[in-house]
Amino acid sequence: MKKLLGALCAATMLTAPAFAQDYPERQITMVVPFAAGGPTDTVARLVAEKMSGDLGQQIVVENVGGAGGTLGAGQVAKADPDGYTVLLHHIGMATAATLYRNLAYDTPNAFEYVGLVTEVPMVIVARKDFEPTDFKGFIDYVKANGDSLTLANAGIGAASHLCGMLLMQALETPLVTVPYKGTGPAMTDLLGGQTDIMCDQTTNTTQQIKGGTIKAYAVTTPERLDLFPDLPTAEESGLAGFEVSIWHGIYTPKGTPAEVNERLSKSLQTALADEGVAKAMADLGTAPSSAEDAMPAALKAKLESEIARWKPVIEAAGVYAD
Amino acid sequence: MELFSNLAMGFSVAGSLANLAFCLIGVLLGTLIGVLPGIGATATIAMLLPITFQLEPVSSLIMLAGIYYGAQYGGSTTAILINMPGESSSAVTAIDGYQMARKGRAGTALAVAALGSFFAGTVSTFLVAIFAPPLTAIALKFGAAEYFSLMVLGLVMSVALAHGSVLKALAMVVLGLLLGMVGTDIYTGTPRFTMGITQYADGLNFVALAVGVFGIAEILRNLEDETDREVMTKNINRLLPTRDELRQMIGPVLRGTGVGSVLGILPGGGAILASFASYTVEKKLSKNPREFGQGALAGVAGPESANNAGAQTSFIPLLTLGIPANPVMALMIGAMIIQGIVPGPNVVSEQPELFWGIIASMWIGNLMLVVLNLPLIGLWVKLLTVPYFVLFPIIMAMCSIGVYSVASNTFDLYAVAFFGLLGYLMSKLRCEPAPLLLGFVLGPLLEENLRRAMILSRGDASTFVTRPISALLLLMALGVLVLVFLPQIRKRRDEVFTESDA
Amino acid sequence: MSTKPKDSTDLAAGLLLIAAAAFFGWQTMGLPIGTSLRMGPGYFPMVLSIILFVLGVIITLKSFGREGEAFGRIAWRGILFILPAPIFFGLTVRGLGFVPALFFTTLIASQASIRMKPLHALVLAVAVTILSTLIFSYGLGLPFRRFGPWVQF
Repeated sequence: MKKLLGALCAATMLTAPAFAQDYPERQITMVVPFAAGGPTDTVARLVAEKMSGDLGQQIVVENVGGAGGTLGAGQVAKADPDGYTVLLHHIGMATAATLYRNLAYDTPNAFEYVGLVTEVPMVIVARKDFEPTDFKGFIDYVKANGDSLTLANAGIGAASHLCGMLLMQALETPLVTVPYKGTGPAMTDLLGGQTDIMCDQTTNTTQQIKGGTIKAYAVTTPERLDLFPDLPTAEESGLAGFEVSIWHGIYTPKGTPAEVNERLSKSLQTALADEGVAKAMADLGTAPSSAEDAMPAALKAKLESEIARWKPVIEAAGVYAD
Repeated sequence: MELFSNLAMGFSVAGSLANLAFCLIGVLLGTLIGVLPGIGATATIAMLLPITFQLEPVSSLIMLAGIYYGAQYGGSTTAILINMPGESSSAVTAIDGYQMARKGRAGTALAVAALGSFFAGTVSTFLVAIFAPPLTAIALKFGAAEYFSLMVLGLVMSVALAHGSVLKALAMVVLGLLLGMVGTDIYTGTPRFTMGITQYADGLNFVALAVGVFGIAEILRNLEDETDREVMTKNINRLLPTRDELRQMIGPVLRGTGVGSVLGILPGGGAILASFASYTVEKKLSKNPREFGQGALAGVAGPESANNAGAQTSFIPLLTLGIPANPVMALMIGAMIIQGIVPGPNVVSEQPELFWGIIASMWIGNLMLVVLNLPLIGLWVKLLTVPYFVLFPIIMAMCSIGVYSVASNTFDLYAVAFFGLLGYLMSKLRCEPAPLLLGFVLGPLLEENLRRAMILSRGDASTFVTRPISALLLLMALGVLVLVFLPQIRKRRDEVFTESDA
Repeated sequence: MSTKPKDSTDLAAGLLLIAAAAFFGWQTMGLPIGTSLRMGPGYFPMVLSIILFVLGVIITLKSFGREGEAFGRIAWRGILFILPAPIFFGLTVRGLGFVPALFFTTLIASQASIRMKPLHALVLAVAVTILSTLIFSYGLGLPFRRFGPWVQF
């Protein structure tokens, strides 16, 4: 009964104008626009727990999956801009702006920004008996055998799809793309040698590479990874400008007071500085964003530049998800 | 024997007091939530997943696995008691289990389901322990062509699910396949049959469909003439099966275990075929196939064992490859990652305690389920004596919560209403829901693998017969087809003869 | 002609299947069919629609010339109250919040039975709401808002 009264009190308090200095005074909902247990959900739950500690209020993760993350994002765009509904989304926030031609929200103008959370690197991998021995050989081999090779991806808009598009563009060679429903089945067929090449996040590939069940050729980051010091970057091997990572950011609905976003950002920075979070992210092959990146301005700049960057890539490929 | 030392290590991990407690909590929670109508294993795990995040990795996975079987178990209970399956496997159990319940044999049906599941669980736990690595190698041989052929075999079998007109059953399968197409085409991103509703972009929710065509249609049927008919017979017979009934279930349980274990290993959706396949086998082997659909004991014992065996062996691809065989497994991977264990081919060698601990806990969990549930049967059966007009509003409330909790998608609730109406209409027209449901789950897999196989073979359709496993599966499909239609042809000939005799 | 026997349930089933096939076929019209190498999104549904149509026609034709069972009573009251219950829950769970939405959903559903007395329905709805809130919202911590923005005053 006490709790019920508490809920009622909290409900009545909502009507009072939100005083940013008192924020937060009740539970915060973090919307993850993908299913529970997925990689994005994992990132969200990691930081949500630490942010709850800093804010002194529980952050509950709500999974609103569907339509490549656009349903959950659309729901947050329409939510009250009081700081009690936030969104954790990845690179799909930027690509959906072009991939979906009739989105329910206007991506650059529907949100306020809290900060970047992490940027997950990607690795170009192939089935374990794929012939080339290094990335230079890989490039030559793919260019020579282009249309007889298959490139797997986890569905339109997925990280592997984006990276694959970019790879084909950089190599100027079209491959036979084979879409799957999610990373699991795509990886199964790569393990079984049913498909040839894939480019996917370290989250999904690290353990398989270490287990020797697939072959890794290059990483897609500007610098080599501590995780795989022997793997070259795509750029150093001659694919200029080939750089892609799956970045995650936290957003609030348009009109959320700046003080609230600052408060959330500060708590995000605290969470990212936590050793446990760094360790968990390292296990996934990624690292927490720096304190400067975990700020509203950095996320805003990232979103805008990524929308501009992917627009021509997607339009050239002519693939849309609506 | 390395195997025994490994198993011993597993049991010592799973047998620690804390882990036993977590296993028990998982099994209990899973059963309790799973038994609520309209809430299946996926919804239960999605609800309970966050609870496990605070625990040690082994404990959390043991608890999650417990939730998984518990929920499956609870789901079967609901399917038997009120014809409300929470997932595709319990939809098969509902066919005959619910009929048994209506005839006052709910106790028997529940006990048979429990014992069959336990036996299947025991056998397949050992299968997982002994054969996990070599079985994985076979599973990897399954490419798109093989899965397509497997799904064809499944579809052919589905006709046996119907106890009425074969023609109408076929039509229901095709309608189910079409409903399965709703959503975004994964190859081109084109929305199909969504009527412009973005909320259906990922397809229709299975739980919404199952709850609608089975459960709600049943409620409506029961409300038709509530003044002059009782839904359930009031005289409920003994709770536990007789010795004769126990003997009857041996064959179905053994076969179900075999079928389920084999299909469960395939990561591309083999496990969903397990209960359907077992039902078909039992109906074909039965001396009185007419009993099926009217409350056949074998129609509960076989599929329930197959389902549980498949659920166990579907852990094989998860543990040896780090690849989820179904949405529930995907959730478990998420749980592992949050615990700092990234599943992959190395889990067995790098984390032997975890690997063997989970395997041992599977068996312990199954044992707990039987011990817990046999006494509970009395309670469940009592539930049926609650007046129906009190029961069904509760069912509707639980359904609404359950369906909504899966993805927080309100459009899934509208789908429930639509499919409730469709299911009621179907029952009025004497079309059966089970083939529709199977079509619905197989549809996307069938199309996806057909198109993928064609891409991989560069448009050469002979890939389905030149790949040996695929060819074998297609031959089996042909065999089943002959078995299904031969009696019909013979029957018709008999009819012709009797008519001419007259 | 009306003396000729026909199975009216099969006739209705056949005609409805034909209608469903026509609907799916019509919806497939706009989708590219593709080639056998790269099947378009319309390929498979088109094939299925045609099969469904053929099955519908056969079922319709076979319904003539034999006697069928009666259609039976229709649960109009059930349809009127059972089906709107989940729809109501869907429409209001965000706005009203979990607690009031569930209360009214149960109340609506309970009206489907003629045996349910108004007072009993009220008691049942209150009980279901309290128990569900305790189990799902407090016990399992599901991220439902107990009271939504429509009921804040």
